[in-house]
Amino acid sequence: MHTNDDIDLINSFKSGDKTVFKDIILRYQDRIYNLCMHMLGHTHDAEDIAQDTFIKAYQKLGEFQPDAALYTWLYRIAVNTCIDYKRRPFFESIFRRSDTGEEMVIERPSASPSPEKDYESKQIRGAIQKALRKLSPKLRAVIVLKEIEGLSYEDIAVTLDVSIGTVKSRISRARDELKMLLKDFTEQK
Amino acid sequence: MNCLKTHKLISPYIDGELKVRDKEAFESHIKSCRACDIAVEEARFQHNLFARAEEFKAPYGFSARVMANIASEKAKGFSWTPLITRFAEVIVLIVMIFTGIISGSFLSDRLVNEKNTLIMSSFYLDIFDPTPPDSLGGVYLAMTEVRDEK
Repeated sequence: MHTNDDIDLINSFKSGDKTVFKDIILRYQDRIYNLCMHMLGHTHDAEDIAQDTFIKAYQKLGEFQPDAALYTWLYRIAVNTCIDYKRRPFFESIFRRSDTGEEMVIERPSASPSPEKDYESKQIRGAIQKALRKLSPKLRAVIVLKEIEGLSYEDIAVTLDVSIGTVKSRISRARDELKMLLKDFTEQK
Repeated sequence: MNCLKTHKLISPYIDGELKVRDKEAFESHIKSCRACDIAVEEARFQHNLFARAEEFKAPYGFSARVMANIASEKAKGFSWTPLITRFAEVIVLIVMIFTGIISGSFLSDRLVNEKNTLIMSSFYLDIFDPTPPDSLGGVYLAMTEVRDEK
C-alpha cells in the first residue's frame, strides 16, 4: 500500500500545501515516464502523457481515497491517458509524428562491457519496443505493468480496474503474441 | 495435471503467482512432460528478455515543466480550445462525407448512363460490318461492284 511518506505528502496536499506535489512528481516521474515510453514508444508523446498524468493527479488528488497505493493510482491515470491518447484529434497526432512513423528514441550511452553485448542489448531493446507496439493497448498495458514495472497481478488488477482472472488471461495472451513477435530472439537461445 | 491446464498456468508460474498446491502439481507435471518443460523454458527466456528492456528516465526539468503547466492551467481556467478543435474536426468530417456522397452519386449516374449507352449500342445490327472497306473482303466487294457497273 502507501509508504508513510506518500501519506504525509497526500495529507499536506489536502490540507492546502500544494507545493508538496513537486515531491510526488520527483518521486514517481521516472516510473510514470518509463511506463509511458513503453506504452507509446515516442519520447515527445511519452513526456506529454506523463505531464498530463501528473496534471490530472494534481486536479484529483484532493478526492483521492487511500484504498489503493498512490503509485497504482498514478499508473491507472497514466495507462488510461495512454490508451485515450490514440483517440486524440487526428490533426494533432499527424503533425507530431516523424515521417516514417518511427520515433526517435534518444540513445543513451551504454554500460555494456563489450561492443557485441552492447549491439545485442540494443537489438533486444529495439525488438521489445517494436513488439510492444504491435500488441493491442490493453495487452500492452498488462505486459508493461508486469514485465517492465514488475507489478503483482493484484496491483495490475487494481490499476486497470479489472479482475485478477482478466489480468491472468491478458498476460497469457500477450505472452503468446510476444512469442511470435520475438521469435528471432527466443529461437537463438 | 494435464498439458492443457499446464499451458494455462505457465504465466502465473513464471510470475510466482501460483498457489502452493497448484505450483507443486505444475512442477510435478513438467518433470514428467518434456514438451511442457520446453514451453516453460521458452516462456521464462522471453520473460528474462524484458529484464534487458530499456529503462527510461524522465527528461531533465520534467517536474519544473509539470509545475509550470499546472500553474498555467490554473491561470487559464476553462478553455474552449479542445472543444473548438473537436467541433472543427466533426464539421470537416461531415463536409468530407457529404462531398464524397454527392460526387459519388454524380459519378455513378454518369457511369451508369455511359454504361447503358455502351450496352445498348452493342445490340445495334448496323454497327456490324462483316466486310469493312479496308479489309480484303471489302476490297473484293468494291471491285465486283465496279465490274458490275461496267
